[in-house]
Amino acid sequence: MSIRQHKEGQMKKTDAPEVRSSRRDFLKGASIAAAAGSAALVTGCLPGGDASSSEELKLKWQEYFKKHYRLMTREEKDETVTRLVKLARIRYDLDIQMSNRPAREQVLYGYAFNITRCEGFMECVRACVMENNQDRPSKTQYIRIFEMEPGKLDPSTGDGKFFHEVPVDNKFYMGVQCFQCENPPCVKACPTKATWQEPDGIVVVDYDWCIGCRYCMAACPYWGRRFNWGTPEIPVEEINVRQHYLGNRIRPKGKVEKCTFCIQRTREGRLPACAEACPTGARVFGNLLDPDSEIRYVLKHKKVFRMKENLGTDPKFWYFID
Amino acid sequence: MKKTACRFRLLFLVPGMVLLLWCRVADAGEGSVLDRINEANEPFDNSSIQSALPLPVKTVLARELYQGGTFRVLARKDSISRFRCSVCHTEARVTVRDGVLFTHGNVVLNHGRERDSLSCSDCHNEKERDFLVGKKGVKVDFDHSYQLCGKCHFRQKSDWLGGAHGKRVVYWAGERIINNCTTCHNPHSPRFKKRMPATYSLPLDE
Repeated sequence: MSIRQHKEGQMKKTDAPEVRSSRRDFLKGASIAAAAGSAALVTGCLPGGDASSSEELKLKWQEYFKKHYRLMTREEKDETVTRLVKLARIRYDLDIQMSNRPAREQVLYGYAFNITRCEGFMECVRACVMENNQDRPSKTQYIRIFEMEPGKLDPSTGDGKFFHEVPVDNKFYMGVQCFQCENPPCVKACPTKATWQEPDGIVVVDYDWCIGCRYCMAACPYWGRRFNWGTPEIPVEEINVRQHYLGNRIRPKGKVEKCTFCIQRTREGRLPACAEACPTGARVFGNLLDPDSEIRYVLKHKKVFRMKENLGTDPKFWYFID
Repeated sequence: MKKTACRFRLLFLVPGMVLLLWCRVADAGEGSVLDRINEANEPFDNSSIQSALPLPVKTVLARELYQGGTFRVLARKDSISRFRCSVCHTEARVTVRDGVLFTHGNVVLNHGRERDSLSCSDCHNEKERDFLVGKKGVKVDFDHSYQLCGKCHFRQKSDWLGGAHGKRVVYWAGERIINNCTTCHNPHSPRFKKRMPATYSLPLDE
């Protein structure tokens, strides 16, 4: 009797996934059929529906039913990138180059910020906005520079909206952005797993999987994330065409976005836009796993600290003094 | 009856506590990223990043080493408008009429504090005009001016060699190419000028 029961149990176990998958297939088939049907309906209703709009609709539907980025195969990732490139062609009349390059082996990105050297010229902020296709009307910025009183190390005591001749004597400047925590609280807060940490340490967002609940923004102790209240508006001639799926591609409306250490640049070996733009050399970027890198030199030879280290978020962004 | 209920409760309590303890231990054992960094002692193969292409700028191999071996710095001579100096600085006599052109009236010298501010000949070689000169008469090439700057600014130089001062050019990967001292600092007045910021931020609580 017990053996039989056991066997039955086994059978049920093996049967179960088949049943589930067939149900899923059914739903998938139904949704695609519905998509095709409604697409046909819309194009049929349009008076002389032109080719580009039906193409756009088709691409949008395919985009709508794609998987979570981390569950996609290599081919599926390439397909979605191709679709997004085509959509950008239709929407902005622009030829963009979108990458989906995965993380490199033996690389863990880290950042160091020299609070003695920064003079508040804000070149990094401007470079970041230009690089990452942020919304211009709302003045979305990933970086914030605080003008600080000497002796204070908490940015909430500083002035984050200064606009006067810099540097002011006897003040110092401190930049804040996403710290790419090794133990990121934002990732834990996301109910749809739309944000995660890549193997090279960068915390990224799949904008197509984000539902815009902004739990991650509430969870972040560093005010590192931004929300798109509207579709980003960027002058077409200022759109950066070198994009990455997880990085600076133009976000849809109602999504959370953040600094990705310029994933589209750093995975190609380039410095992030802020580090490249910095006129004073206050920003040091590099591979934490390379003992010969600049960032490792800073960690070894300089007095470094991290912001709110007691929270256990383990940021990969250090402040240092000369 | 009461006793069995108590035992029943204990049955849940004990594994619960064990689980809680285990979680704590697991949390504490989860090392910081610093442990991972300190364990990584294998130099990164920079040639593995093929997209770090050669830059269209003139560089020279530095005459010093950093922790990773040799490196390159941006060349200087090409950006000096009237190099080579010895073209003008010859034995030939200069007429008063040409004086305006030859006296470098555009150079504003603001290097060093008031009492011991520098003059031309503190850095420029009076005998061999195409070179700089150190206090002990050592000839220094214009492309390797860090050798001269580092004579006084030795602390900044050691930071610069390691990577805590100055910056790399375009790439974090590939061969190390860094800015020369004179790429960022005007050697005649090295402090950065005060100016307006490039942009501004909105207040935090919008």
